[in-house]
Amino acid sequence: MHDFNPGITPNGVFWIVQIPDDAVQITGDTLTIHLQNIAVTDQLQFGGTGNAPASVSFDITYTKSGMPRRVRQTSSDPLSPFTWAGKMWMATNTGTFSAAYNDGSFAATGSFSSSGNFGEMGTERNGSFASEKDDDAGAKSLPLQQGQVQAETRMNAAEKPVLLSNLPLLKGRVPIKGFPLRSAP
Amino acid sequence: MTKGIKIAGAVYILFLCSLPLAGQVFPVPLPGGDVIQPFGLFNQFFPGVGAGFDGLNADPHGINNSRTFVAMGYTAGAATDGNGKTYNVITDIRVYQGDYIGAVSTYGGGGTTSAKAHGTFVEI
Repeated sequence: MHDFNPGITPNGVFWIVQIPDDAVQITGDTLTIHLQNIAVTDQLQFGGTGNAPASVSFDITYTKSGMPRRVRQTSSDPLSPFTWAGKMWMATNTGTFSAAYNDGSFAATGSFSSSGNFGEMGTERNGSFASEKDDDAGAKSLPLQQGQVQAETRMNAAEKPVLLSNLPLLKGRVPIKGFPLRSAP
Repeated sequence: MTKGIKIAGAVYILFLCSLPLAGQVFPVPLPGGDVIQPFGLFNQFFPGVGAGFDGLNADPHGINNSRTFVAMGYTAGAATDGNGKTYNVITDIRVYQGDYIGAVSTYGGGGTTSAKAHGTFVEI
């Protein structure tokens, strides 16, 4: 099995990397993303200790359909999954990808589709933005450019989010989380 | 050092402290998430209906304090490696584009300053 991901940051950001704004195009009902040579590692299994440096490239098109649903914040518990608000459509996506070890010892190409599986797209606000008034213009009318900094307030190191280790069981269910590449039986 | 120089120095320091931060604004994860044994907490929910999912309206975002466009979907597919071996492929790739309030490394010693920024992120 292979599991390509960019890792978890020390503060807990899960498998997320920042990319150029122009890698994503939002037009009408579709969002397309084109990425090349994103640095990842192959952990060889979910949560594994493998650490083979690799890169992935992919092109994906997400397409929304139907009527949107308005999502309201229904919990004030910061640990709850329901502390956000937004406007979401059901969505499908299809894509192609390639993955390769940096040392050239492994490479693969493939394609995937969300057909029959859950998907959605839309605008959302969470955390300190969750209580803002609904604004359908949402993320498409944002004034800042990538990397631009606007406001600042002090926060000391003690306020940093806790790390994954040594945490008690908080909440949530074991998800059906995908493994990016898995050997065929 | 004269009193005038000391005052000028203090004013200069105050000026520097008032300048906008130019460092990278690191996103902050959701405080909640799913627990996957034996690994522990993953700061991410898994929207969807049915066993193993967190519900239709579970937060699809992985970054807290954000106001963004979001797209996500679970997929299945196939791949072939250089030796012709085939694989089943499962993905959960999410895209986030918009504003967020993150953390800028400041003052050393692990100190951070909150800052608002705009960015595009992908969860692979």
